[in-house]
Amino acid sequence: MLLSKKKALRYLIALFIIFTLNFIIPRTMPGDPITNLLGENFIASEATIQELKIELGLDKSLSFQYLDYWKDIFTLHLGYSYHFNQKVISIIFMRMKWTLALLFPSILLGAILGTLLGALSGWKKNNLGNKATTWAFLAVYSSPPYFLGIIFLYVFSFKWGLFPFKGFYETGTFLDVLQHLFLPILIMSTFAASRNYMIMRGSVLIEKEKLYVVYARAKGLYGNSILFRHIFKNASLPVITLIALDFGFLLSGALFVEIVFSMNGMGTLIYEALLSRDYPVLQGCFLIITIMVIAANFFADILYSFIDPRVKEKA
Amino acid sequence: MLNRFGLVLVVLFVLIAILADIISPHDPWDRFEPYEKPNRNHILGTNDIGNDILSELIHGSRASLIVGIGAAIIATLLGLLVGLFSGYFKGALDEIFMGITDIFLMIPRIPLIIMLAAFLKSSIWLIMLALGLLWWTSTARVVRSRTLQVREMDYVASAKCLGFKNRHIIFSDILPNIFPVVVPKFMLTVATAMISEASLSFLGLGDPSMKSWGLMINFALIKGGLVNEMWWWYLSPGLCIILFVYSIVSLGFSFEERKKVNLR
Repeated sequence: MLLSKKKALRYLIALFIIFTLNFIIPRTMPGDPITNLLGENFIASEATIQELKIELGLDKSLSFQYLDYWKDIFTLHLGYSYHFNQKVISIIFMRMKWTLALLFPSILLGAILGTLLGALSGWKKNNLGNKATTWAFLAVYSSPPYFLGIIFLYVFSFKWGLFPFKGFYETGTFLDVLQHLFLPILIMSTFAASRNYMIMRGSVLIEKEKLYVVYARAKGLYGNSILFRHIFKNASLPVITLIALDFGFLLSGALFVEIVFSMNGMGTLIYEALLSRDYPVLQGCFLIITIMVIAANFFADILYSFIDPRVKEKA
Repeated sequence: MLNRFGLVLVVLFVLIAILADIISPHDPWDRFEPYEKPNRNHILGTNDIGNDILSELIHGSRASLIVGIGAAIIATLLGLLVGLFSGYFKGALDEIFMGITDIFLMIPRIPLIIMLAAFLKSSIWLIMLALGLLWWTSTARVVRSRTLQVREMDYVASAKCLGFKNRHIIFSDILPNIFPVVVPKFMLTVATAMISEASLSFLGLGDPSMKSWGLMINFALIKGGLVNEMWWWYLSPGLCIILFVYSIVSLGFSFEERKKVNLR
């Protein structure tokens, strides 16, 4: 079996709790629940509000509302945004692809760059170049990604005019899209790389003291081939865990970078929803993000058991 | 060397936050001529409503440090308790605690806080509490695995034989040995909490009644600081965040590396 029963149960409980939170928050927060569920931009006559209350099931008891809520989720019915005048689910699906187009290349590039450089930095002697790389990655590690976005936007787009200043339209060619995505991906992948770098470096520093490394050396293997043939696999295990755990954190980072670059993704959507107090969109985004984060953890678990057979044996 | 540099900076920032009232040249809420360039009276100029930016920066350190350190204290205490108990007692308690930890690890934290802050009136105390209650999970895991090692050591066994109570063993025998892993974890948590606070303020969800670095960047951006090339306005709070987080993170990492050398 790919996943132990215990783990699977935890995933289900996590989903259940987060979805329930999403039900509870708008209904228990201060303010009129009808406003909390429809957004503050929504103005209607008393009669319409009564009608909507019945349509939304607010006249029923909380337990009935809760059952309806789950029914809606399974039928992908996440409510209606009166601000955008569209179904929430279709807005999110429209915007989601740009967030993913920013996030996935960044995670991939960040993982490759971070583990490779981190492994080399942990393996090699601590010379000046090595120290400088570590300082640079630490500096990136310490900065909020959106602030890097502001600086890059100012230098590359505003000062030098190398890259476009604002987001893009859906109709652009592939090259167009690439040009718009270049800076955001650059920022997010260095940010992701900085986190992987620090972990990989520490991990190699521990692994290289182990006996199998001495044995490989005694066998006559040269420096870098010990690193890449023996140490790398063991040392990268914590990084794989980190990438899964970091998915949510990087996703949040990507949301903020999107806002800086006015990209048409979920981050900008959340920002617009916040400004217009469009609660259905906010809740919908939260649900979809939750599903994405849990799915990422799930895949990491499966990947982990493929790379480290010891995990599968234990389960 | 890196270590000492980090320590000096952290102490400096904490001093600035404590002495903000004495060292800032103006009251951060006083209004002068708006959009002034840096000059002798206002070293970093003034913002859109005429507040002195340097004074804002000095007073802003308070909110940022309170949120960062406060959230990290809450998170570390929670993580310590969960990790210690679940590592020491093992069994059913461990299963339950680690299950809860796994579930908390999967909650998308920043989006959840965005939701909460959108419905509630935002204040730094709310942000601090929410960050602290959501960020304890990785500390709990580290503490647990260290506790599992320490509880098997001979001196713990002898304490048990001497008839000491579990509570005494956990807090006076095991806890001191957990400290070397908790300290760097605490510092990394301060860093993440500060970056999160800055990000939330950037969305306009920060506490409007208190100056903070994140809020300053937010205002500089939406009130035309970027397009008017007033770099001193948005760059200085950003650099403050980076410098403080950098110093505390480098302290944490150097602590971790030195500890490994000592263990060998």
